[in-house]
Amino acid sequence: MRIIKLSNQIKKRFIFLIIIFFCFSFSIFLISYSLKDQIAYFVSPEDIRKMNNIDDRYLKVGGLVKEGSLKFDDNQWNFEITDESKYVIKVVYTKSLPSLIEENKGIIVEGRMGKDNLFIAEIVLAKHDENYMPQSAIDKLKEEGVWRGN
Amino acid sequence: MLAINPNILSRFLNSISQFVIILSVFLICVAGVLIFFLENDYYQGISFKIMFIHVPAAWLSLMFFFIMGTSSIIGIVFKSPTAFTIARSLSPIGLLMSILVIITGSIWGNLTWGTYWVWDARLTSMLILAFIYLGHNLLLFSFEHFQKADFAASILAIIGLVNLPIVKFSVDWWTTLHQGSSVFKIGGPSLTTDYLITLLIGFFALFLLCFYWFASIFYIIIENRKIERAKLFND
Repeated sequence: MRIIKLSNQIKKRFIFLIIIFFCFSFSIFLISYSLKDQIAYFVSPEDIRKMNNIDDRYLKVGGLVKEGSLKFDDNQWNFEITDESKYVIKVVYTKSLPSLIEENKGIIVEGRMGKDNLFIAEIVLAKHDENYMPQSAIDKLKEEGVWRGN
Repeated sequence: MLAINPNILSRFLNSISQFVIILSVFLICVAGVLIFFLENDYYQGISFKIMFIHVPAAWLSLMFFFIMGTSSIIGIVFKSPTAFTIARSLSPIGLLMSILVIITGSIWGNLTWGTYWVWDARLTSMLILAFIYLGHNLLLFSFEHFQKADFAASILAIIGLVNLPIVKFSVDWWTTLHQGSSVFKIGGPSLTTDYLITLLIGFFALFLLCFYWFASIFYIIIENRKIERAKLFND
């Protein structure tokens, strides 16, 4: 085993690399910090409530489809999006929904706020969470009475 | 790694590569059978099974970049040819893994989200990682002397290390369409045990396959250099 002696050359190269790395990561940090509203993909209904002038702005709203609100009539989908704050946004959508859209499940709608606080969606995406389990595991949890969900 | 001669490491990697590929093929078969017989997810149905390729490939693309970055630091600081050659041989494998992540992720996204691609933080940072891999691969072949190429590519790999925490934590720092981490998260994994075991077997299978490729590429690079040196000597 060779004993490594840290010569001045090695120290100099190491410090050079550390400086490059930290300058670069600091600049990336500043960029992403100042752009954090743009990097965020969607806002919650609660954020929409706090916004002032949202007329005609292209918005992406994410939340849960409210239970009992998903209906199809007059050739368009009507549903409501909500979150923990219980603030509700009514949405209409004229195209076909992704197959995973269900009540009490995650959703992202993109579009503009129309009149009467009715959100006219141009794109609807399903947002699923990071929990994966088979139906049998859910049945077992339901038997034990610890299943929270629908 | 500092004191290891690349020729000795190359001979060692070549000697174990047969064993590694046999184990890898065996584990791929085991994972395939397990994935086939696993119960579907209650919500996503069968489409979630693409996760067992997508997630291991994502872990490996991040892991290989981390190894590439650290060996680039060691290579530059200690002028170690072994470290440079490790980074050089990992680069094409990492590129392949990151492309695999993006392709399987797009298919999965189309089945569940309803779109192939969105510009959210996770997807965009992963695409940047793939492009850094591509740039690293191209830099390695853009110089006449491989020492110069190694130095230039190493700087790129070290700068690219900044992107790794962004890819990993993008789902926690910003709101994204992509779901959060299932395995490495606070409060333990949010998968059932049979899914988790299959995922880990899939990961080791793909890891060993990549290790076999790595060993082969390392061996080929060292042998090629020997031939080049012999040619130079004969001239």
